[in-house]
Amino acid sequence: MSFGAWLELIASGLITGGVYALVALGLNLQYGLMRILNIAHGEFLMLGAFAAWLAYTYLGVSPLLTAPIVFVLMVVLGLLIHRLAFRRLAATSPDLDVFEARGLMVAFGLMFLVQNFASLVWGGELRGYDYLTDPVSVGGAQFAANKLLLAAVALAVSVALIVVLRRSLLGKGVRALMQSPVGAQLVGIDTARLHPLMFGIGLGLSGLAGSLLSMTYAISPAIGEPYTVTALIVITLGGFGSMTGSLVAALALGVIEALGTHFGSPSLKPLLSYGLFIAVLLWKPNGLFKR
Amino acid sequence: MSTPPSSTRRSTVQALAAGAAGLAVPSLARSQSAPVRVGYAIARTGPWAGGAQVSQEPNFLMWAEQQNAAGGLDVKGTRRRIELVSFDDRSEIETCIRSYEKLMGSDKVDLILPPWGSNANFALAPLANRFGYPMLAPTALSRKLIDMHLPYFFSLLQQPDRMMGALVDMLVANGVKTIAILYMDDLFGLENFAALNAALKKTDIRVVERKGYPLGVKDLAPVLRTIKDQNPDAFIGITYPPDTILASKQSKEIGFNPKLFYASVGTAFQLYRNVLGAGAEGVSGMGSWNAATSPGAKAYFQAHTAKFGGKEPDRWASGHCWAGLEILTQAVAKVGLDRKAIRDYVAKNEHKTIIGPVRFEGSENVATPGSVGQWQNGEFEVVWPRSIATAQLVMPKPAWK
Repeated sequence: MSFGAWLELIASGLITGGVYALVALGLNLQYGLMRILNIAHGEFLMLGAFAAWLAYTYLGVSPLLTAPIVFVLMVVLGLLIHRLAFRRLAATSPDLDVFEARGLMVAFGLMFLVQNFASLVWGGELRGYDYLTDPVSVGGAQFAANKLLLAAVALAVSVALIVVLRRSLLGKGVRALMQSPVGAQLVGIDTARLHPLMFGIGLGLSGLAGSLLSMTYAISPAIGEPYTVTALIVITLGGFGSMTGSLVAALALGVIEALGTHFGSPSLKPLLSYGLFIAVLLWKPNGLFKR
Repeated sequence: MSTPPSSTRRSTVQALAAGAAGLAVPSLARSQSAPVRVGYAIARTGPWAGGAQVSQEPNFLMWAEQQNAAGGLDVKGTRRRIELVSFDDRSEIETCIRSYEKLMGSDKVDLILPPWGSNANFALAPLANRFGYPMLAPTALSRKLIDMHLPYFFSLLQQPDRMMGALVDMLVANGVKTIAILYMDDLFGLENFAALNAALKKTDIRVVERKGYPLGVKDLAPVLRTIKDQNPDAFIGITYPPDTILASKQSKEIGFNPKLFYASVGTAFQLYRNVLGAGAEGVSGMGSWNAATSPGAKAYFQAHTAKFGGKEPDRWASGHCWAGLEILTQAVAKVGLDRKAIRDYVAKNEHKTIIGPVRFEGSENVATPGSVGQWQNGEFEVVWPRSIATAQLVMPKPAWK
């Protein structure tokens, strides 16, 4: 294989991995921080995708412009959902394990609600549009412009999130919460404000990923679930609560899938991702990056 | 227990009065007759919905609406309103089967309409057969299902050997020497793949690559790159709608532009033209009719587009679905709602439909030849075989735009 071909292969894996990262980071914020296993995470990706499709098809607005708006709207929606469902749940649950179990049920409900809402409004058929699909050459390899853009935004947002969590006071508070919720409250971290915000940002990232993905894939109300599953694999691989872990695990999964599809067959993909998942769990049950 | 005589007398008088009223005002009697209850389950959510909501359910709704607008379905000369009883099967075989069990077993609807896709039809056909409900399926592509010889099951689409046979004939006629095949790992994909290989055996065409992929695939670029390096004359994708689009977009992305680019289900959808834009030009796929096929097809196309706000029927299964409804309508007009009689009528006659004549041998529609379609200037034209073609094949395919 030539250098260009290798470059293409690895880069296409990294592009897929970048998208996985964006979706997984959002879920990790929710699960790692608050133990909300948001099974409906992918549904908000689907909503983001529909928003971008609507804006482009009916108003001619570029998905690049829609994406940040979707992010903000999803954060607001997240705050609302947290207030309606999870705040009360947190107040009435005797301990964190019960909260987690109840939260999972609520998230299942959310999943059906959101999916059926989309089916009701837009119907079950596939949708899509043509935006920035012309190929761009980079060092002998060729990619669709929208994919490069997708990867760039996904990586930039992921890295930005990690840096914010590492460097800022807000990030310090969030990390403290992840390490010890009670300890964090004792030193004066305001969980009542931080929790909803992080839940909202989680949804925001999912919606953002959705609006970007709608440029490259056909969309329907059913597209969300597979992303939730991938995100679960990624955050388990990387370790709950570890943002860097999620990013690395997502990129690795993307590249391994690309190599497996090229040298084996696309039918091997599930075998590869789940095989890797099982292997890592056997070797490091808490994830690669959990200390 | 004996009925008091007075009561009998009263009901007799009532019956006479009602009969007189009925004679005097025939339309009153018509509107009072019970509706014809037609049941079905189809995917409105889940992965099957993409196909079901384009090729199938819109036709059911439009059929009921058109018949009711005409005063109802003609049941041996009496007009009776159609009442659709429908469920969302959520793209799950179990839900689909359970819904039909309820419809046929406890609701006892008059007629059923089929679910979407080879898998669901495969699971339902034996059950419908046991209950004695005729099933005119527009989206079942499986030789195995035909070979089960179920007397109540009729498949309107051309079967894999016909579709792939037509494709291979066209490849040979156009001097194609090498091809690469990408197919989906399910009943539909595997049967078509096998039929394609069988058809290729009789030719000198060399297959440079055969690769399968699973449902829900998100990235085909690595395989397409492998195929591109081998530079085949033709690419044959046995694909479902999301993958048809994915394979096309990614081929454009990596600059893979063989002389003939063929993808299967979904190529004939309006969606394909919307998503690929000018890039759709010259792409071939499974298609068998368009508005130019017959005056009936044109009227159907226009009615569909008008009813669903510009949404066009797909140029393959939609037409076959409508043809099935035409056949059912004719059968009920001739023999009424006796399901055995409907079955016999469907089995024994040649039917005139918008896609041309339809005649069944066993469960198979043997009158419609296998066919190939191609996007040309915004229309999905039938390009093979020449007997039903609406345009000439354009080969080599122009570059992706």
